Amino acid sequence: MGRLLAATLAALVMSLPVMGHAQTKTVTLGAALQITGPDGNLGRYFRDGYQIAVDRINEQGGLTIGGQNYRIALKILDSQTDLNLSVQQYGQLVTRDKVDFLLGPYNSNFTLNDSVIAEKYKVPMVSGGAAAAQIYSRGYKYIFGTSPPADNYFGSTLEMMTKLDPQPKKIALLVADDAFDVSVRAGVRALSAKDGFELVVDQVFKEHNADFGSLLSLTKSKSPDVILMGGHETESLNFIRQAKSLDVNPHHMMALTVGVPSADFRSALGKDAEYAFGMTPWMASPVIRDRWFGDAQKFAELFHRKLGYEADYHVASAVADVETFAYALEAAGSLDRDAVRDAIAKSDFESLYATIRYGETGQIDIPQIVIQVQDGKVVPVYTDHFLNKPRYPVPTWAKR
Amino acid sequence: MLFAQIMVNGLLLGGLYGLMALGMALVWGVLNIVNLAHGAVVMLGGYCVYFLFTGAGIDPFAALPIAMVVMFALGYLLQRYVLNLIIRSAQLNTLLITFGLDVVLTYLAQLAFSADFRAINPSYAGANLTWMGVTIPLVRLGAFVTALILAGLLWALLQRTRLGRAIRATAQNLVAARLYGVNPAQLYAVTFGLGAALAGAAGGLYGMVSQVTPYVGAALTAKSFVITIMGGLENPFGILLGGVFIGIAEALAAIYIGPTFTDAISFGLLLLILVARPARSLRGA
Repeated sequence: MGRLLAATLAALVMSLPVMGHAQTKTVTLGAALQITGPDGNLGRYFRDGYQIAVDRINEQGGLTIGGQNYRIALKILDSQTDLNLSVQQYGQLVTRDKVDFLLGPYNSNFTLNDSVIAEKYKVPMVSGGAAAAQIYSRGYKYIFGTSPPADNYFGSTLEMMTKLDPQPKKIALLVADDAFDVSVRAGVRALSAKDGFELVVDQVFKEHNADFGSLLSLTKSKSPDVILMGGHETESLNFIRQAKSLDVNPHHMMALTVGVPSADFRSALGKDAEYAFGMTPWMASPVIRDRWFGDAQKFAELFHRKLGYEADYHVASAVADVETFAYALEAAGSLDRDAVRDAIAKSDFESLYATIRYGETGQIDIPQIVIQVQDGKVVPVYTDHFLNKPRYPVPTWAKR
Repeated sequence: MLFAQIMVNGLLLGGLYGLMALGMALVWGVLNIVNLAHGAVVMLGGYCVYFLFTGAGIDPFAALPIAMVVMFALGYLLQRYVLNLIIRSAQLNTLLITFGLDVVLTYLAQLAFSADFRAINPSYAGANLTWMGVTIPLVRLGAFVTALILAGLLWALLQRTRLGRAIRATAQNLVAARLYGVNPAQLYAVTFGLGAALAGAAGGLYGMVSQVTPYVGAALTAKSFVITIMGGLENPFGILLGGVFIGIAEALAAIYIGPTFTDAISFGLLLLILVARPARSLRGA
């Protein structure tokens, strides 16, 4: 009798979580990310951002979709920074792994190609690391992006430059030849014409370029007031180090699209990172509220505690991608892909990244905050007004 | 003035390229192995110097010999216990195995060191001197001089020492060398170790002018390959010259043709040379 009772109790106890589980369904988000390969350093921002968001939502009870409780599962593949493999893996995620929805890869080139899969199978994809205009100008209906438009990356920087004293006139513009930077360049060309700046250098270099000797020497010979540089983080690092070793000094300042907000960038450069201007659409501020994380500052602290490195805007953007699905799924009330797609298009919520609203083309439009490295810290300098005093004009390498 | 500056940039960069190719040329010439993992060994040398500098506080230039010893050991072991097993088989097999080695070393490096960028950044990394209006970066000058010294040492080793004679003899006629008592297994391992040591030095210098990540290898292998073919396999200084040639061609192309064309230029030149002088390239050491 005692044994029977024990066995019954044991069976009951064991069945409890199972019973609970039976009521919880799963919605799966899939992504092929650059976990290894040359973009591995930034790919991990997305892996970690997606993961922390999914974990947090699940810890807090998951989602209620059409009266049902759902947990989110994440299926991540490593594309090894191989574009062809990445496209193939997104196809696999949809057809073989049967994920419900797609999260984007890092960077514009990859998203440009991977979003073709989303469109083909009519699976909504939200991408956190894709800013190039090209992606959103093809009339695709299933791609959404939480990176602000690349052609406006330097918009706030150029606006700030019109308000600086002494006012810069001559710009040297150097960008890489990938989809993102080509958009950046088009934007700067249009904006600088409007604001009356003169482009004394306007050059495109190849992606993953490691030697800037010739370009820097050319730039030096044109003695610009400002250097605007658009490239990936590795290129930004090489550019700054080689600018120093070739003693290339713009009269007033140097600004870069990518790198400056990352801790990695500052630790690799040491004090040579000082005075560099950069940009970020996101700061870990306590005034940006979030349903799951409280606010952006709390999120940043949690992230640092869990992952051991500093979150930057890539991570915040990745979290916003997951939250986009969370809100849209609840609003749609089902996993129907078209219903969710329409709900995403109508998104309007506060997240730790920004207020998420997608434009006609599917891309978010939020301003870039101009930042500068001051005493080893990233200081916000300008949005549409000055937030902190920029250190300007920047001293030459010899005088630092 | 710009032209002079570009020439100097190209010359200094080319010296570093040449040093990178030196190890590949040695192994290619003697062992007839086109080492596709060469760039990965350069990368490991870079990490070695990085950690000696940041961890133990050893000046990067002083750390170069230590990195060379470590890389020599690695190269020796790789040849002795891996590559020697297939050295007599078809060249495709050596290509396959070194390609595999490249993948393994790259991913081990990512596991061990993460994909973070590591710049070897001593206080004088950005220092320069100006001479007649031309800016000369000190580290690049140092790299160039180091390349010259190492090429000189390699030349002396090959020409003046018993080991060097044994290496050259093996490259020229394996059977005859064996008759004179050369143990090829041992000699191949030493030669591969020397090649790896040179690659290690190049890696340390590369980390000073650029940065090291687990993924820098592939591009450096390709560059070394081009330079090796241009420089020929006979003379270390020929390789340096090949490096300088490519360095200057790239620097000029970046300005006068367009910065996106640098790779097209080096590989285009390679093609031209192969068409124009096929006999010169790929002759034994």
